[in-house]
Amino acid sequence: MPSPAPVVAGRDHTAQELYDRVAALGPSPFSIEQRTRALDRFISLRSGREKPGRFWRVDFESVAPEARAIDLSAANVRVENNDPAIFVCDLATAARESPELFARAFGTTGIAATKFGSLAAAFAQCGVFVHVPADRACDDPVVIRYTAPAGAAIFPWSIVLAERGARVTIVERLEGGAGAFLCGATEVVTEERADVHYAALQQVDDGARIIWSRAARPGPEARMSWASAELGGELAASDLSVSIEAPGAEANLTAIFFPRGSQHVDVVSTVEHRAGDATSETIVKTAARERGQARFLGNIRIAPHAQGSDARLRDDALLLSPTAHVDSVPALEIGANVVKAYHGATVGAIDAEQIFYMESRGLERGAAERMIALGFFEPAIERFPTAALRDEIRASLAAKLS
Amino acid sequence: MPDQALRITNLRCQIAGKEILKGIDLTVDRGKIHALMGPNGSGKSTLAFAITGHPQYEVTGGSVELDGEDMLALPPDKRARAGLFLSFQYPAAIPGVKVANFLHAARQAERPGDLPPAKFRALLMEKMEQLGIDPSFMGRYLNDGFSGGEKKRVEMLQLAVLAPKYAILDETDSGLDIDALKDVGSSIAALRASEEGRNTGFLIITHYPRILSYVVPDVVHVMIDGRIVKTGGHDLAHRIEREGYDKLREESAVVA
Ligand SMILES: Nc1ncnc2c1ncn2[C@@H]1O[C@H](COP(=O)(O)OP(=O)(O)O)[C@@H](O)[C@H]1O
Ligand SMILES: [Mg+2]
Repeated sequence: MPSPAPVVAGRDHTAQELYDRVAALGPSPFSIEQRTRALDRFISLRSGREKPGRFWRVDFESVAPEARAIDLSAANVRVENNDPAIFVCDLATAARESPELFARAFGTTGIAATKFGSLAAAFAQCGVFVHVPADRACDDPVVIRYTAPAGAAIFPWSIVLAERGARVTIVERLEGGAGAFLCGATEVVTEERADVHYAALQQVDDGARIIWSRAARPGPEARMSWASAELGGELAASDLSVSIEAPGAEANLTAIFFPRGSQHVDVVSTVEHRAGDATSETIVKTAARERGQARFLGNIRIAPHAQGSDARLRDDALLLSPTAHVDSVPALEIGANVVKAYHGATVGAIDAEQIFYMESRGLERGAAERMIALGFFEPAIERFPTAALRDEIRASLAAKLS
Repeated sequence: MPDQALRITNLRCQIAGKEILKGIDLTVDRGKIHALMGPNGSGKSTLAFAITGHPQYEVTGGSVELDGEDMLALPPDKRARAGLFLSFQYPAAIPGVKVANFLHAARQAERPGDLPPAKFRALLMEKMEQLGIDPSFMGRYLNDGFSGGEKKRVEMLQLAVLAPKYAILDETDSGLDIDALKDVGSSIAALRASEEGRNTGFLIITHYPRILSYVVPDVVHVMIDGRIVKTGGHDLAHRIEREGYDKLREESAVVA
């Protein structure tokens, strides 16, 4: 009986195909050597997304793209930007023409140290670099849109450098056809007193898979806001993280997700308070319906010297069907003693008293339930930028509720 | 000519297997104000929930008819659309649903398409002013973080905006100061003076007779231990104010 011999010792057949693909890639933004090491890490690292139970359908340790689906020319990247003072370009151009600016942000957040951040690094090719010069305040959002054709695997990488005192809103739209695989990364560096509001709207096809890592480093008295709505995908995983290394920073993290049908969504938020006198607020609203599965892990870590930190974490889950699953785990590690740390969580079905109250005002049961469920998301929706984007999210959630 | 009344006949209701209402007969005619008084725990809220169809309250006998239509066969939303309104003793908070949006949805459900949005807004502003509700309430989440008094004012706002055929007010007065009581009184008076609310019949449930100085009842009923033990005019409320419920309780014990 022939046993499948590994092509290279320690690497199975699929892995070898991935290494072959990496070897064929260009050197930007990562060298072949860096890419190969990143792929090593992807293969050897654990995801940190262990299955909370046997009913859990997805095992992240075995999630990988198919080598032959990797088609780096297939990614469609579009950017809308109305402010001529904001510099937007692809990664190769940024590395060539503004190497000093590019190096201040690219690869500085530690994203490429995680399992899926490493996968994104191994194949990174398409991407967008956004540079907002000092003290520039931009009101119109910069919109970045990545689209993967059906069946294709793409690996986008977004980088934002907001210099001191700059302010910008960025909306990242993620789209993909059936069978697509998107594995991307977003790095944001906000320098002193800069203010970046970064919203991600993930609406890939319900037959696509998407895994995205997002990390930010706010400078002294800078503000960083992540807001992510994971609305599509048969499998969606998202990391939102902020590492506070300078005092006076403010971090706002917001996540909305709502698996239904056989969707599976996994969100990890991480706030590292490595410097004191900084505040963070994380708000997560999850609903699950039908056989949808949602997992949330909320990390707050306050270093022993980060006195005066103020960290809040609020996560609420709404179970809309008895067959849906939500697993929500807060993880607070508090090393300092002069801190304010708050965690609050709820999991449950819609309250029968709320339904009766609305019915007694003439609303049909289904309409009442939809209104209550939409209201449940509202405190998180309100933290997204632009009225149009908020309305789009409401409409998208309403469609998932009907 | 159908019966123009909310007619409750020999109504029996239980909660968690325990009989609370032991055969209630009570008829509220259109345009009339009835007061239902009684000590705590006598079953007043149970009656309100049984009439409006709360799923926890199991009706085991009797009937409720609204202008001749059987209410007990309908789900709660259809009872509301038939013209029934309940002002809750403890209104539920609905986080994330704005007062204005909810009121619009309720008005649309009960009177589909009767008012264009601009007119609806004007109606809302007028009623809010009448009730001393700050316009900022339109954008607040329904009953979420409201004080007891604010909740009751917003219940009265809903009453005014929906202008039902029959309104049951469950202890709307409890927890209100005199100014708030006056506002409730004048809002009800304004509703009764309006085209829409001219014929609204009221069942005002109260523990204390205080509110009845602002909304003067045509008929007063007294409920003790799941039964109506006495029905009379406005003077019955005054008698309770003087004597409390004990004397009536003794009399009814003799009868029962
Ligand atoms: N949801 C409930 N579950 C169990 N018992 C209840 C419930 N609601 C009311 N009761 C009981 O029914 C009786 C009547 O209560 P209620 O109708 O609230 O009286 P009232 O409104 O006159 O104060 C009381 O003995 C009360 O304890
Ligand atoms: Mg009561």
